[in-house]
Amino acid sequence: MRYVKLPKENTYMFLERLKDWGDLYAPVKISEKFYDFREVDDVRDVEFHYNRTIMPPKKFFFLPREKLFEFSISKAEYRETIEDVKPFVLFGLHACDIFGLKILDTVYLDEFPDKYYKVRREKGIIIGISCMPDEYCFCNLRETDFADDGFDLFLHELPDGWLVRVGTPVGHRIVDKNIKLFEEVTTEDICAFRSFENKREKAFKYHEDWGNLRYLLELEMEHPMWEEQANLCLACGNCNTTCPTCRCYEVRDVPNLDGDTGYRERRWDSCQLRSHGLVAGNHNFRPTKKDRFMNRYLCKNSYNETLGLSFCVGCGRCTYFCPAGISFVENLRRILGTKEPKCPPEISEEIPKRGFAYTADARGEDL
Amino acid sequence: MENGKVRVGFYALTSCYGCQLQFAMMDEIIQLLDKASIECWFMVERDSDEDREVDIAFIEGSISTEEEAELVKKIREKAKIVVAVGACATQGGVQSWGNDRKLEELWKTVYGDAKVKFQPKMAEPVENYIKVDYRLYGCPPEKKDFLYALGTFLVGSWPEDIDYPVCVECRLKGYPCVLIEKGEPCLGPITRAGCDARCPGYGIACIGCRGAIGYDVAWFDSLARVFREKGLTKEEILERMRIFNAHNPRLEEMIDKIFEEGE
Repeated sequence: MRYVKLPKENTYMFLERLKDWGDLYAPVKISEKFYDFREVDDVRDVEFHYNRTIMPPKKFFFLPREKLFEFSISKAEYRETIEDVKPFVLFGLHACDIFGLKILDTVYLDEFPDKYYKVRREKGIIIGISCMPDEYCFCNLRETDFADDGFDLFLHELPDGWLVRVGTPVGHRIVDKNIKLFEEVTTEDICAFRSFENKREKAFKYHEDWGNLRYLLELEMEHPMWEEQANLCLACGNCNTTCPTCRCYEVRDVPNLDGDTGYRERRWDSCQLRSHGLVAGNHNFRPTKKDRFMNRYLCKNSYNETLGLSFCVGCGRCTYFCPAGISFVENLRRILGTKEPKCPPEISEEIPKRGFAYTADARGEDL
Repeated sequence: MENGKVRVGFYALTSCYGCQLQFAMMDEIIQLLDKASIECWFMVERDSDEDREVDIAFIEGSISTEEEAELVKKIREKAKIVVAVGACATQGGVQSWGNDRKLEELWKTVYGDAKVKFQPKMAEPVENYIKVDYRLYGCPPEKKDFLYALGTFLVGSWPEDIDYPVCVECRLKGYPCVLIEKGEPCLGPITRAGCDARCPGYGIACIGCRGAIGYDVAWFDSLARVFREKGLTKEEILERMRIFNAHNPRLEEMIDKIFEEGE
């Protein structure tokens, strides 16, 4: 890998030059406490020390709402509406978010590529930036705290600038075209980089092994945590819509008033919503709030075989942006037994019966 | 259908007529003229008649008089599909907010001793009197919902109901969350989406004009717990949630539950 140094005084010039490669998007402050990736006009608006953006970077590749195709019923035809995407630069991604995109790639590119996702992924330049964790961060436990690839450039903060890792040929070209802005990395810089990484490692709130979490989750389906925490849940879907790896979408056909033409659109979905598990015949394979609550925990902690990681990257958004104050991390730690050891576990007499066919306490006649 | 045209009617009960105004002002309505005949819609068609048969009847307003109760029964008999339009028709509207008080008291407050020629009733949503097949929510409803529903009926299909909260669209639009950030009593989590979180987008907490989500997935209890932690009293919470949900059968019991369980 190639390493160069970007001196602090050249930072804004570098950001300005990035605009030569496409529209520049970077983290900016959007309200009192929140940040988001927005198009940047004045590079001095860019926040280098943000904690987390409310919307994950997936929004640039897998659009929150997107028209898929237009159709005509009488002609029995449809025409895909894939946008002509302009190149763009996404600056300031933390390592967890880069892993988030890598996880989305395994879903949307590997086996059956999603055209709409692919066309945007090909046009996006990714520039990572180092970060100091806050109390919500747990990417260290997810092994997503340091990105080895998935970026064109990655900037690590030094006292007097940035140590830049070059990850792709595009990254090389960006550096080469602006070579006057860069310097060679010195021994001192390496020391500063190491000390930053050391300090960062220590800044994480928890240092523990989550290796057997996914098995414990499956085994502890009767744990009282589920009922108790699902009860607090508003089922608003914030945890899903702010998650960098949630990838479910809902599809809808919208006909025009001519009684013939129309279009199909998709939007981000949430497994906390009733209709997520609703199928033909009005059956629902996750009929209760608790079922839906559990689903997210199991999905996020399942194993991504391509990457050898869980689907959760430890960004902390689902906790930070939960209006009900539910802590994903603390709930998982309860299951792990690190919070309140419970052994032997209480197992009810009856064999757990799951699924809509067995639900006795499903509420509502239209469920 | 008659001559291949869908017969449409738009009827108004007690309301501000804002719903039909919203739709009457749509440019897209022109596209409709080829496909539909307007049998009754006093705002846009001089030759309107409430007694004609229609394929789709849109009803705005709450039932607040004996005459209106009779009118909706007649509409139901003459219509194949009945669509309740707007907060008044679907939830009884803000005029139902005071339904914990007596009719006489409400009446005196507004009319004093004046005589009117109709027989008043407590305001109620249309579905309390007749079967409603589909609902367009909001105060006023969204044009896109109207286009979607009508367009879907015209291709012979059935439009989907909205069963997810405003929060989903608030995030989709990329707005900051006023409930988390400012501690405002935003009703987004229990209120039907479809408005693209217009109010939270301006930093204003949702007051729930589109009504609480149906299918028993409006978690009044969990949200009341959050509001209580932010310092709201039971009365304040109920007052706010009742603005557009006075007829919701689950509201009070779910909030009672939270305040019974204590801190």
